[in-house]
Amino acid sequence: MSARYGMVIDVDRCTGCGSCMMACAAENNVPALPQASARTGLTPLLVRKVSNGNVGETRREAFIPIMCMHCEHDTPCVKVCPQQAVEVDEATGIVMQMPQRCLGCRYCMTACPYHARYFNWWDPAWPPGMEKSLNPGVAVRMRGVVEKCNLCHARLHSAQEKAGAAGKREINPADYLPACAEACPTNAIHFGDLGNANDPVSKEAHSTQAFRLLARLGTEPKLYYKSNEAWVRALAEPDSPQASEVQRG
Amino acid sequence: MKVTRRDLLVWSAGAAAGLLATPVPWKVLDDVSIWSQNWPWIPQPTRGPVEVKQSFCTLCPKACGLRVRMAAGWAVGVAGSSTHPISRGALCPLAFAAHQLNWHPLRLRSVRHGASRSTWAEAQAAFAKASKEGPLVVIDGYPGRAASSVLESFAEKQGGSYRVFAPAELRALASYERWTGIPAASLGYDLENANTVISFGAPLLDGWGTPGRFTRLWAERAAGMRDPQLRLIQIDSSLSRTAARAWQWVEIREGSESASALASGLAGALHEQNLVPAHSPVPSMTLAESAAQTGMSVERIRELARLVVAKTPALVIARDDDPAVAALNVLLGSLGKRGGIVRHSEQVKPYVAAESVIGSARAVLIDASVPWDFVPQTDAEIFRFAAWDGGGTKPDWLLPAPGFLEDLMDLPTAPGCSVLTYGIAPALVKATSEVQSAAQFLCSLDGSLPTTAKIIDSRCQTVFRRREGSVYAQEIFEMAKFTSVQTFKEQLLKGAVWAGEPTASPEFHCLLKKWPNPARAVAAESWATEWRAPVMPPLASKLYQESGLRESLSRRNA
Repeated sequence: MSARYGMVIDVDRCTGCGSCMMACAAENNVPALPQASARTGLTPLLVRKVSNGNVGETRREAFIPIMCMHCEHDTPCVKVCPQQAVEVDEATGIVMQMPQRCLGCRYCMTACPYHARYFNWWDPAWPPGMEKSLNPGVAVRMRGVVEKCNLCHARLHSAQEKAGAAGKREINPADYLPACAEACPTNAIHFGDLGNANDPVSKEAHSTQAFRLLARLGTEPKLYYKSNEAWVRALAEPDSPQASEVQRG
Repeated sequence: MKVTRRDLLVWSAGAAAGLLATPVPWKVLDDVSIWSQNWPWIPQPTRGPVEVKQSFCTLCPKACGLRVRMAAGWAVGVAGSSTHPISRGALCPLAFAAHQLNWHPLRLRSVRHGASRSTWAEAQAAFAKASKEGPLVVIDGYPGRAASSVLESFAEKQGGSYRVFAPAELRALASYERWTGIPAASLGYDLENANTVISFGAPLLDGWGTPGRFTRLWAERAAGMRDPQLRLIQIDSSLSRTAARAWQWVEIREGSESASALASGLAGALHEQNLVPAHSPVPSMTLAESAAQTGMSVERIRELARLVVAKTPALVIARDDDPAVAALNVLLGSLGKRGGIVRHSEQVKPYVAAESVIGSARAVLIDASVPWDFVPQTDAEIFRFAAWDGGGTKPDWLLPAPGFLEDLMDLPTAPGCSVLTYGIAPALVKATSEVQSAAQFLCSLDGSLPTTAKIIDSRCQTVFRRREGSVYAQEIFEMAKFTSVQTFKEQLLKGAVWAGEPTASPEFHCLLKKWPNPARAVAAESWATEWRAPVMPPLASKLYQESGLRESLSRRNA
């Protein structure tokens, strides 16, 4: 049976602490290279600050974690990849990146409407000895390929291995939770199977407060956000009249 | 047939053109690129069976519960432990890369005397000589541990003084200690039962107290709600992270004087509108004066006063020691009350603050738990333990201390917590160089001192004999289930945490009769400035640099 893994991020709960970014980078063996900058570093998950543009006590700010949206339909990165290094996994709905096939042309980075892809400019390196602290479940990232969130695919593998060892075909949903969702101190990141109508995350994705970024592109991202604040929801479509009054922080 | 030079050239050109039509050059090119992307010297993760161990973060006194993933004897991942009753699975962001800290380039690996390298034997000889020659001051940044008892005992035996560098949460309780006689370390905030929390600049959603405690409460009872069960009113001069997410943000002028003035103004407005008992202390500052100092209108202060008492219990939290802000809790009757300031222990001694004047000491010993930025103003010879070299002012002796999870340590109640807790963090990873904690150092000098391990044994017995509270492991055990102290201690060594019962403490006898004068308040803004280690995990430096999520922490080394 196939799943459609996705997330609903409750923006009203996000305090912008950055735990998700840290947990993501540690889980995926992202190196801390001193030569990397905001343009050249790897940040598969990036928390952005936005505001309602007001000044004084009516000013409000919110934090929006941005990562690969795992587009379901006409996935832009898949369509442009000349190497077939990106594909939507039919069994899980996860947009997978295969670094061994990637030749580093970066078409996918250009095509991604969410700027959620990063090019790996350098060989991974750590201070002497720090390689002992790397996650053994994830390979270190090779230079010259494009990187992005894969919903902690290594954790899905572990869950599948565990289910297989127990003679089961289906994983226990409790065994598969991406690092960002696990780390969030306010439980703002809800992960689940959007294809399962009984999954609480699927129900949440259909609530009136839920929205997707750039939904008008029709790529059907599997990352939903939700907020009770109208000005936050207006951010979903930056060309909309409401969003023109909203400033990015 | 004669082969001419021309034939050779034609054949070579044909072969080269033909080769291009085969997959060989492309395959070779591809293989070369893959080979060059995977040089043998590119670091690879440690291989070995992975196991998960429960423990605690020992990097600051907040004592969050951890799940540590281990491979081949090394920590390879850190996550929050959802079974911990206080941190409830949440951690500060830096903790997620804390296991990398032991390999930080600024890790101290040898004894340093001034600018040169030295040995442990020389350091011991110098310290023994100095402590015999004159008064000794021992400074601890994480009081209440077994190691703290060793430090205190040694200082007492030498006729010296034991001082504590308290975190901001504990300093903010100092006023109550002065007014009630109850040590600040035995007081806590009953956040779980408060319905309104008024924070005077305390970064409640940015690492204040045990990071998961308030954030989890806020997420469950307030986040995104128009009329939340828990009203968080944040008083700040700028839109901090906590202010951005608070139910109401009250903007005041910058500076601690503004906070004190608003506290006085609120007290005046509460009296004016008969919202508090008439016999409670009245500030001398008028509402108009308060409004002028804070930049708020008089009517806004009155409105805020009504909000404060609209949904009780109300709890006021200062970000540092500010008597005027603390006095608001006295006015609101929040001392010794459910949802207010409560007492969790009766066996804690008051501490002498490390910031007090040191005077004519001959030697000062600074434990590794004291933040690097704290430098005592003294001419004494300084022996400083630290796991990382924070740069800047150098002490006379710099002694390498155990890093993250390299040493056996017990974890007393976190500052600001409303119930007693106790846990033990075993040494999960081996030290990568010859390190000693300050307690081990002192025990090696004075054989009559009890070791940390012995004190932990004795504390386990004390907690066991109380027969109250529960042990939080994969499931919750009543203390009655433990038949021996040994089984109890074994559970704690596996990462379980003991938590006492919430106390129904009687209302405190408070000596505050007159509104206090404002005091200076030097505050920590968030966990990033409260971070005890002088260095941050490289991953944190990288992400902050690349995301712009946090302001530049220039004083922290990358």
